[in-house]
Amino acid sequence: MFSKFFYTLKDKGLEVSLGEWLDLQEALDKGLCESSLTQFYYVARMILVKSETEFDKFDMAFEECFKGVKMETEIGKNMLRWLDKSDMMELAHEEARNHLNQVEDIHVDKEDVEQTFKQRLKDQNEEHNGGSFWIGTMGKTSFGNTGGNVGGVRVGGQTGYQSAFSVVGARKYRDFRDDKVIDNRQFQMALKRLRQFSTKLDIPKSELDIDGTIDKTCNNGGYLQIEMMKPRKNAVKLLLLMDSGGTMIPYTRLMNDLFQSVNKSNHFKDVKVYYFHNCIYSKLYKTPECENGDWIDTEWLFRNVDSDYKVIIVGDAAMAPEELYSESGNYRGPNGGLSGFQWLHLVKRHYKKVVWMNPKMAPGRAPWREAETAVKEIFPMYKLTVKGLNEAMVKLMATK
Amino acid sequence: MANTEFNSTQDYVASEELLSSVNVAIALKKPLLIKGEPGTGKTMLAQAVANSLGKKLIIWNIKSTTKAQDGLYMYDTIQRLYDGQFGEEGVDDIARYIKLGKLGEAFESDEQVVLLIDEIDKADLEFPNDLLWELDQMEFYIHETKRTVKAKHRPIVIITSNAEKELPDAFLRRCIFHYIDFPGAELMEEIIKTHYPDVEENLMKNAMQVFYDIRALRDVRKKPSTSELIDWINALQIGGISADTLRAKLPFVGVVVKKDEDLETVRQEIH
Repeated sequence: MFSKFFYTLKDKGLEVSLGEWLDLQEALDKGLCESSLTQFYYVARMILVKSETEFDKFDMAFEECFKGVKMETEIGKNMLRWLDKSDMMELAHEEARNHLNQVEDIHVDKEDVEQTFKQRLKDQNEEHNGGSFWIGTMGKTSFGNTGGNVGGVRVGGQTGYQSAFSVVGARKYRDFRDDKVIDNRQFQMALKRLRQFSTKLDIPKSELDIDGTIDKTCNNGGYLQIEMMKPRKNAVKLLLLMDSGGTMIPYTRLMNDLFQSVNKSNHFKDVKVYYFHNCIYSKLYKTPECENGDWIDTEWLFRNVDSDYKVIIVGDAAMAPEELYSESGNYRGPNGGLSGFQWLHLVKRHYKKVVWMNPKMAPGRAPWREAETAVKEIFPMYKLTVKGLNEAMVKLMATK
Repeated sequence: MANTEFNSTQDYVASEELLSSVNVAIALKKPLLIKGEPGTGKTMLAQAVANSLGKKLIIWNIKSTTKAQDGLYMYDTIQRLYDGQFGEEGVDDIARYIKLGKLGEAFESDEQVVLLIDEIDKADLEFPNDLLWELDQMEFYIHETKRTVKAKHRPIVIITSNAEKELPDAFLRRCIFHYIDFPGAELMEEIIKTHYPDVEENLMKNAMQVFYDIRALRDVRKKPSTSELIDWINALQIGGISADTLRAKLPFVGVVVKKDEDLETVRQEIH
């Protein structure tokens, strides 16, 4: 049963290592789960899952594996409201409770209780307090809360400790999932992955190595002996090309956020941003309005912006086929006699590292979106989410 | 005999889940990684754990410039240079110029301590990886003096993170993880009462209502945190504000809402 849980977690995309799994076994051995499913849920989660963005996946795996343990209870909102009588708790004296149980002397058979419970759940359509048949409070049937029955099914009301399945069912960590579209701060964090400290690069030793100098001097009987070292600076240069075409309007806010984060990320050696309309042609615009004349030649870019710039192209790649393939496809400006497709190939040929971020990418191959599929052939394409951006950054930093 | 299990203390209210994660971390001898919104009491937790177990607390505050090495030891080369110039005695004894950092201090301590590594995500991306061996083996090596510092008693390590940066997987695998949820109304009431046992019931209820309403506003950029609510209630008490006018006038609301744009939104939306 437990190893099934392990593989279900893996299936759901949680990277659980063997070490963590053994830690969980150790926790079980030490009795940290107190033989309670709820406690087991929390202990397993704190050992196996290391990010709140993954709680949701864990919840789903947990539900799948331990569903047998769960009762099939789709309890309506109304029912829960009728049952929330925590203020009546004081009335349910210990004495009264004992009395009730003596009178009824119910032999609690779990199966049986469950069966009847489901049946009642189906039939009941109003609030009951104090009865002996329906699900309600203060009663003596096996269902409901604040009741006198000890071995029954507790429905709703307040608990001190949230039960595992009420947490699972609520899926309250769904919003933390990292395949969700992202905000500004998370963008910045993803961009921080783009760094490469130039100590690794072949550059001159231009900084005084204080510790080294002092050490050498001390060993030299107090006579100064200077030691130099390579500076530790980020060598990454970034070129951001953003689509500002009509189909991108729904994503204006997202684009703005990305632009802001690139702007705020001051760890790059250099950042250049240009805009294009639907597809890249012979001109790139300096502003998102894409005004005629306010542009630079794409070829100028190739000449002046070195091939070691890392390039992020952002766009929905939703060009009409003629916009991509026709040599006169650009209705906004000149295209220098080449189709958009050819221009994209020129970009690919010039720059070593290019990724395409797409805010509305279709999963896998999407034959109905011809242009997107074609662009995917040229550049690695990622969806513009935290996860996608992180993957893209890894791609940009990979050596080959 | 000191306690071996952590419980809520007089000035710190912890949820069941948090309590058990602390105890599991202690039992499994692993660092406990605490994440959560700012102001949910991540840093205070370590203090509470130390108090509850009757142990000393050592705090290592991480800044963006902190390197893993800083926590282990520092080699005071400048002092050595000075001493070298004047031919002072013992300049050739490097051990005199080695000063232990916070982690080293925790290792060398004669009794078990609680070590708080605060806001680990502030540091460089590689920082947590640089500490893997030290936290696993609870020892490190001083190159200059060829000495190994080994923990006499394995410290209880608590690490906090504001989730500014993703922490490396290798590091995460070694930790017990807990995410502090934003407290619900019931827990919040308990928290407020530990700070101000005599708080007037109506004032607290109304203030909490307004506070949760502000948090629920979609346009608010910086959601107010628990600590800000506590400050606000303090201000309201000192100012002698009556509970009834609270919502209409929003006195001292600047304590809760810090941004100009947010202030405007709040004044428009909360009636």
